[in-house]
Amino acid sequence: MALKALDIYKLLPKKNCKECGDPTCLTFAMKLAGGKADIELCPYLSDEAKSVLGASTRPPIRLVKIGVGTRNFKVGEETVLYRHEKTFYHPTGIVFRVMDTMTSEEIIAVTKRVRDETLTRVGADLRFNGIAIENVSGSAETFARAVETVEKVEAHLPPVLISKDTAALKAALVHCGTYRPLLHAATLENVKEMCALAKQHGCPLVVRSDSLDGLVQLVKTCTAEGVPDLVLDLAPDSLGEFILRSTAIRELAITRAVPDLGYPVYLNAAQTGQQDAAVAVGIVKYGSVIVTDPLPVGAAKAALTLRQNIYTDPQKPIQMNPGIYRVGSPDKDSPVLMTVNFSLTFFTLQGYLESARVPCFMLIVDTEGLSVLTAVAAGKLSEMLVRDSIKKFGLENEVSHRKLIIPGYASPLSGRIEDATGWKVLVGPRDAAEIGEYLHEEWKK
Amino acid sequence: MQYEMNFGWTSPIGEVLLGATKNDGGTRRVSYRIGGGSTLPFLEDMSTTPAPLIAFEVCDNPAFWSPIIRDYCGDLVTSVSEWAKKADTDYRADLIRLHLTSTKQRNFSDIASLGPVVESVLSATSLPLIIEGSNEPKIDSEVYQKCGEAGQGERLLLGTAEAGKYRSIAAAALAYNHSIIAQSPIDINLAKQLNILLKEIGVQRDHIVIDPYTGALGYGFEYSFSAMERIRFSALKGDTDLAMPMICSAADTLSIKEVREAGPGQQDELAIQWELFTCLAAAAAGAEILCVRHPGTLAPLRKALAGMKQKAHTAGVH
Repeated sequence: MALKALDIYKLLPKKNCKECGDPTCLTFAMKLAGGKADIELCPYLSDEAKSVLGASTRPPIRLVKIGVGTRNFKVGEETVLYRHEKTFYHPTGIVFRVMDTMTSEEIIAVTKRVRDETLTRVGADLRFNGIAIENVSGSAETFARAVETVEKVEAHLPPVLISKDTAALKAALVHCGTYRPLLHAATLENVKEMCALAKQHGCPLVVRSDSLDGLVQLVKTCTAEGVPDLVLDLAPDSLGEFILRSTAIRELAITRAVPDLGYPVYLNAAQTGQQDAAVAVGIVKYGSVIVTDPLPVGAAKAALTLRQNIYTDPQKPIQMNPGIYRVGSPDKDSPVLMTVNFSLTFFTLQGYLESARVPCFMLIVDTEGLSVLTAVAAGKLSEMLVRDSIKKFGLENEVSHRKLIIPGYASPLSGRIEDATGWKVLVGPRDAAEIGEYLHEEWKK
Repeated sequence: MQYEMNFGWTSPIGEVLLGATKNDGGTRRVSYRIGGGSTLPFLEDMSTTPAPLIAFEVCDNPAFWSPIIRDYCGDLVTSVSEWAKKADTDYRADLIRLHLTSTKQRNFSDIASLGPVVESVLSATSLPLIIEGSNEPKIDSEVYQKCGEAGQGERLLLGTAEAGKYRSIAAAALAYNHSIIAQSPIDINLAKQLNILLKEIGVQRDHIVIDPYTGALGYGFEYSFSAMERIRFSALKGDTDLAMPMICSAADTLSIKEVREAGPGQQDELAIQWELFTCLAAAAAGAEILCVRHPGTLAPLRKALAGMKQKAHTAGVH
């Protein structure tokens, strides 16, 4: 059962030494209560206090850091089953796989692609996260050479090393052992040797079993051996098995019913025989590290976009800066379309305006990120706001006419906007998809 | 050791019947019973359930359809019955969704022409049908009446009722025993409100499919995804006004920037992947009818959905 901040505070040393990184013991206690800090950060805790606090203050799913440097990524520390309950915090790391049987040219090309490829959407740069190198050759030497090839590109991407053979992993770690690679995978057969390697290099480790029981056993062994940073490979035979086990693990972890399942989940999409679908399912169903062969352009963009959607904080509407935006090269006679600063509304309208090929101005007013419908209902979109925005952004200097097109859903305000601004108001369509037709037919009149 | 997930669900999703076979007084070769789930999607044995279903969308006036599909399908789109037949036998859709886009023409008034269109599609395919009527309140009543009549006995799914326009479609559904799609703008409360309105004028719960409105991936899909998850959650927790199956149709997908502006060689690939990712995420959130427009989406989607279903022996966590 979770403890309240004050209960936790009573067990802390109350020295306010700041060594945990927090200014006071009380603020540290508040973080612990929210599952946002690790009890180990306090150097002065008695063993008794540790045992009381340990299990109930640790985040229900451990945060695991993979890689070092600017491209490292963190997964885990999730607290909910549904994104609408709060939010999902740490986006799925999507890692491209190379095999050690590929030529060095091929390996270098994939590494460079992950290093360079960026999709910019809604003001964010979306990227793939790392390189997985799989030991398909069966030779430790070949595997190590492939890892060396990746590292020589100096892309500084988080590595995932995949091999059943600890000798091969050992040889590969010579080239990337200090970069916090993720090792795949400890099984009941090799868990002791894997732990020794992970411990020696301070790496996170994947444990693999097709039963929850097996995963729990492996987790217990690894933590006892001093390897705390673990990731769970559920070894699914189908997407259905993945959904079932991944959901079970998320549920059992966040309710703290089975704390030993409180680790991020791994999925090898390349092994499923339907990679694109596995990537999609992995993103929405709690996959934290997804290994896939390099995705073709369509799947690559769809995957990055879906991940951005799912990991967007549902508590915060994404907002645009209010102001005047141009579509094409508008002139003094071009139409002006007013809408709200909810980014989705903005980008949707902008997209349709671009395809309509009518140069125009967009007047974006500040509704604090609310959509048209909600802003009208909540009174955030008013004639005063429109009047003030026209003045503030100097719309009068941009066009010689005085006509303003407003969204269909804002039609109840049309009369009041005309009175407050002196501009003639034209009510546009409700659906942005019809704006092209509207402009071609109505504006020309 | 067995690990039990304990969600505390109290009641299942209601069922809706789509299509009528000979035994039920129709001419469809198959009918589907969707809904009935008693936990989160894909967690229980679904070997006996066909859901989720893939609906392929066609229209009777391709001028109002995406140029990507017109280019891909060629002359096929000029004959809605041939197009529907191809969707059935070649693309292997589970359902056909017919959009009467001819009603979008300016000052459209030829209501009488719609009956034969519906009849031609009904005879071109023996799959259950979804029919989308007009977007014009002035002719709604006549259009739905015509559709309902032409499909009498076939247990159609008629679309789309919204808070501002649901009476004429409900009247047609009630008169000819069809089901209807109830759409609300990505909001669980509005979805519930519309279902209550429909209930008040006599539409039974087992004749309603919820459309929470699906924004395209990258353009609001996250809101739709969460609306679907919330509707499913509330339904399983006992809210009977939300305990209906859901339909997902990301109709804007083919006109978003990413797809529209993809190079000529990549447009189809982008369209297919965008539809595939959207449908799979929606299915995971609880949608049981997945609508697609690109013929290339059906095969990978069908394969993925088959893989997502639990086999009888794996239902329950091991």
